Amino acid sequence: MSALLVVAVGVPLIGAVLVWAWQHKAFAHWIGVAAAALGLAAAAVLPLGRADGTRMLDSGRFTSGWWHEFDAAWAPSLHLDFSLAVDGVSWPLILLTALLGLLCCVHNAAVIERGKTAPQPREATATATATATATATAEHHTSAPLQVPAATVETGGPFPAADQARGVPAASGRLHPGRFDPGTARPSPTLTSLLLAVQAASTLVFLSDNLILFFIAFEAVLLPMWAIIHRYGDPAARRHAAAKFALFTVAGSLLMATGLFVAVADAGTADLGAIITAGGVSDDVSLLVFTLLATGFAVKAPLWPLHSWLPDAHTAAPTVGSVLLAGVLLKLGTYGLIRVAGGLAPDGAADAAPVLAVLAALGIIVAGLVCLGLPEIKRLIAYSSVGHMGFVVLAFAAGTEAGVRAALFGNLAHGLVTPLLFFLAGALKSRTHTGRLAELGGLRLAAPMLAGLFGFAALASLGLPGLAGFWGEAFTVYAAAERGGAWLALAAVAAFGAFLAAAYLLRMLKRVSHGPVAPAIAGIGDASAAEIAVWSPLVAGTLLLGLMPGPLLALFAEGLL
Amino acid sequence: MQVQTIDHAALLPLYLAAASAVLALFAGRFAKAAMMIGLTAAAIAAVWVGVGPDRAAFNVGEWHSYVADDPAMGAAALFAAVTVLVAGISGRQAGEYWFLLAASASGGIALAGSRDLISLIVALETLTVPLYVLVTKPGRDGAEAGVTFLISSITASATALMGAALLYSAAGTVHLGGLPAGLADADAGLTAAGVALLLGGLAFKLAAAPLHAWAPLVLERAPLPIATYLASASKLGGALAIVWLVHFGLTPGAGAFGDLLPPPEGFPSAPVAQRSAGIVLAALSVASIAVGNLAALAQRRTVPLLAWSGVAHAGYVLAPLAVITTADGREEAGAAASAALAYAVLFVLLEAGAFTALTAVRPGSGDFLASEEGRTPEADLKAGGPPVPDLKADAPVSGLTAGHRRTLAAPDRLGDGGRISELTGLWRTAPLPASLLLFSVIGLAGLPPALAGTFAKVAILEVLASSAVWLAVIVAAGAVVGLAYYLPLARTLLLGRPATLAGGRFAIAVAAIGLALLAASLAPQLVLEFTSVLQ
Repeated sequence: MSALLVVAVGVPLIGAVLVWAWQHKAFAHWIGVAAAALGLAAAAVLPLGRADGTRMLDSGRFTSGWWHEFDAAWAPSLHLDFSLAVDGVSWPLILLTALLGLLCCVHNAAVIERGKTAPQPREATATATATATATATAEHHTSAPLQVPAATVETGGPFPAADQARGVPAASGRLHPGRFDPGTARPSPTLTSLLLAVQAASTLVFLSDNLILFFIAFEAVLLPMWAIIHRYGDPAARRHAAAKFALFTVAGSLLMATGLFVAVADAGTADLGAIITAGGVSDDVSLLVFTLLATGFAVKAPLWPLHSWLPDAHTAAPTVGSVLLAGVLLKLGTYGLIRVAGGLAPDGAADAAPVLAVLAALGIIVAGLVCLGLPEIKRLIAYSSVGHMGFVVLAFAAGTEAGVRAALFGNLAHGLVTPLLFFLAGALKSRTHTGRLAELGGLRLAAPMLAGLFGFAALASLGLPGLAGFWGEAFTVYAAAERGGAWLALAAVAAFGAFLAAAYLLRMLKRVSHGPVAPAIAGIGDASAAEIAVWSPLVAGTLLLGLMPGPLLALFAEGLL
Repeated sequence: MQVQTIDHAALLPLYLAAASAVLALFAGRFAKAAMMIGLTAAAIAAVWVGVGPDRAAFNVGEWHSYVADDPAMGAAALFAAVTVLVAGISGRQAGEYWFLLAASASGGIALAGSRDLISLIVALETLTVPLYVLVTKPGRDGAEAGVTFLISSITASATALMGAALLYSAAGTVHLGGLPAGLADADAGLTAAGVALLLGGLAFKLAAAPLHAWAPLVLERAPLPIATYLASASKLGGALAIVWLVHFGLTPGAGAFGDLLPPPEGFPSAPVAQRSAGIVLAALSVASIAVGNLAALAQRRTVPLLAWSGVAHAGYVLAPLAVITTADGREEAGAAASAALAYAVLFVLLEAGAFTALTAVRPGSGDFLASEEGRTPEADLKAGGPPVPDLKADAPVSGLTAGHRRTLAAPDRLGDGGRISELTGLWRTAPLPASLLLFSVIGLAGLPPALAGTFAKVAILEVLASSAVWLAVIVAAGAVVGLAYYLPLARTLLLGRPATLAGGRFAIAVAAIGLALLAASLAPQLVLEFTSVLQ
């Protein structure tokens, strides 16, 4: 079974290379889908034949409680081994990564992002020849200048120029006009290749049992994601957003690396499981290690005030890029914080917990307040991630068993709900060519299924009981309150943040779904079968986690923390 | 005065390199082949000697002036290999060119084995002196580059010699093995001044700030193959000299008499030599990282960008050595020296890759010293005008626009690195050199999938994290700034409409260095093993 660990990382990587090599072939997209599906299958069967997840006293020392392990020497003088391992904490995240990777590949291959299916009356009167969808789109923007204020990076939209270049490199020398037509636009296979590379690297992060390998995998995520944002993002904002993403991420990961190396030097080994079972690094460096690691992961997670790369990157990225950013990349930060930072330096974590908790609570409130005023849907969803991750960090900072489980659960729930929201927002933006809430409205009349899914995802995101978002946030408040004292205040702040989340998500829902049908919405098509197929696993997962949180919590309980 | 024993097998790589230099001088039209074969043989001999037991020559007691251990022979093989690579991308040149290149390589190989101050400096001079001629392209810019290099190099050599003399007067020996014991009770002021001057002078070769200013100017104006050599082999020389000096000469425990010294307790009681060396190295390192990265941000031309970033990388090389200031660092002095050496080797490979790729795609970057009287340079054929002496090009010529004048000066500009924007879309026109350049640039930025660079960064951060966290944070900050100019360069290569349709040349050389980088990425242990100075 341990070879499956290599398969889970290797298949997406090989898929990425193959798709890249055959990117001009028609079947390139489906190679990507096949690779992602194989990766998902390999990830799904990992629990089979798992070792007992308890820590055993084996010949005088504790062995770590991994399900499966794979070990191969790579560069011993750097303490670098290619050692992979999986347990109940990392497996759900690996499964989530593989699932989102597959969904993104299918989305690229099968979902044709459509413009409006019927020309609008207003446009028909303006120009009789505006039958081609692309022309109609362009005309729409030029015909209503007063409704469209100047696009800025801060407002995140509406980037009129963005809508015609989805998934196509703007500066590519090989474009022909036909590829601009939104009716047939399909993302380039290169995007699929980059997605698979992100998936492989993220899976490696979750699997790695060696701290140096962890760092290398963490860094390996950066370049493909940078390329996704830079090449396939919103033309008006992508350069700025991609550069910001890259610089923040590298700064964070190098600080994290410094912390990792301090820990390696102190422990004398880079084996993650061994250091965790030994109780972490020694007391004198514990706080230093935790500070360095937590700063690094806080950039990735992101924790207020290190979050400022996130809204830009998520807003500028293409739909699948946002999905992976929210569903996978943020998880790298929280996974690292909980497993690596908390595991390597438990004492430092306990010392630093109040600071972390206050920052997290502030982040929840700030994100809530900012979201209340944001005019653009994708940016709003992106900013809501800052709040959700605040809950995760607060739960982790509480440090109790309930807290850590709430953190892991909230982490996973966010990984299902927010990608769904991004998929929906992407579908909406590709139809209406605007993400501004002021220009949307009446979606429930124009596209009832899309509106229904929007409502579902928004309710899941705001933490409705019975859906995935509830358990993580409820237990976070519980865990913080359980600590008593000043933590009660933090629990109250978090609860108020949950209330704010309800407010801004319902406001978004009201603007998008309800009211009279806005001109931009009129005549758009409802969700297609392919789209439903891509979204349904996320809907099912959200329901499943919401109704039956028990099995997942049991998995976390046997994890190595 | 006793006669020193000489182990000729240990000196075999040096003999072969020197012989190939002599051969190149007299072989006429076969000079290039003779030189390349000779240096390849030297590289193979170095590997053979390195794989065998450690050898030494010119012994005085237990101290040796020349040692053929694993790191020395690995470095010697690398010198020879990089020189062969430079020869491979040089095109057609006059016979002296090959002689000078081989002579410089011999200096590098001698440097790799040197273990006393005098042979260290003499070897470094042998490495440098032939370059005075080689960097000088015909024309005004070339002359300026040559003179700049000459003056700054001589200043640095004089500084280093002064430092070596002071150290000799303080310690009473020039052997690196004898320095730690000799300096233990030497005059503090003399020692500190000697160490500072010597390190400062040697840092010139590495182009570490504040003696870095020559590098961007000389690299930009030198012919591209020579710029490749300067950026790779020549920098390796500087790095080796500093690592040897610090590790064998200034670190007790590594030298032969290290056991006589009690282990130092904390900063204040550290020997003067180490403390001053650590402070000087830390200052050089931080200054290089800051100056190199900030200046590179502003560059719009390819070679100066790489040259300035090379200044920053010199800082990264020096950073692990600076930890001998601290008590923790002294315990890990061997690991620190190994990390510095590993970083230097991987950095040199990456720089060689970047410059080789650049040479391969820039027009007219070879053939500059070839005896071609009577031949019209390629650019003149294109410009459609007769060659006009450069000195007159700047004189007011009636009827010539500024643009036309620049065209007339074109032969001088021929074969330089060009602007970064000229590399736009290189991926489409020349995939092989473009992928090599891309790999090297990403490696210099330290990012996967160019793992060679990542391993280099991991090696130094591991040392720094355990003994000088503040320096690790500075290195990390430098790397972040570095990303701000490496990523746009990578983007330029990948995207955009290519301006020219020039394909790549020197496919064999490009493939060779590409394979070397790939090997270093997949099996870093190859590099890490021979750069380990832990005995």
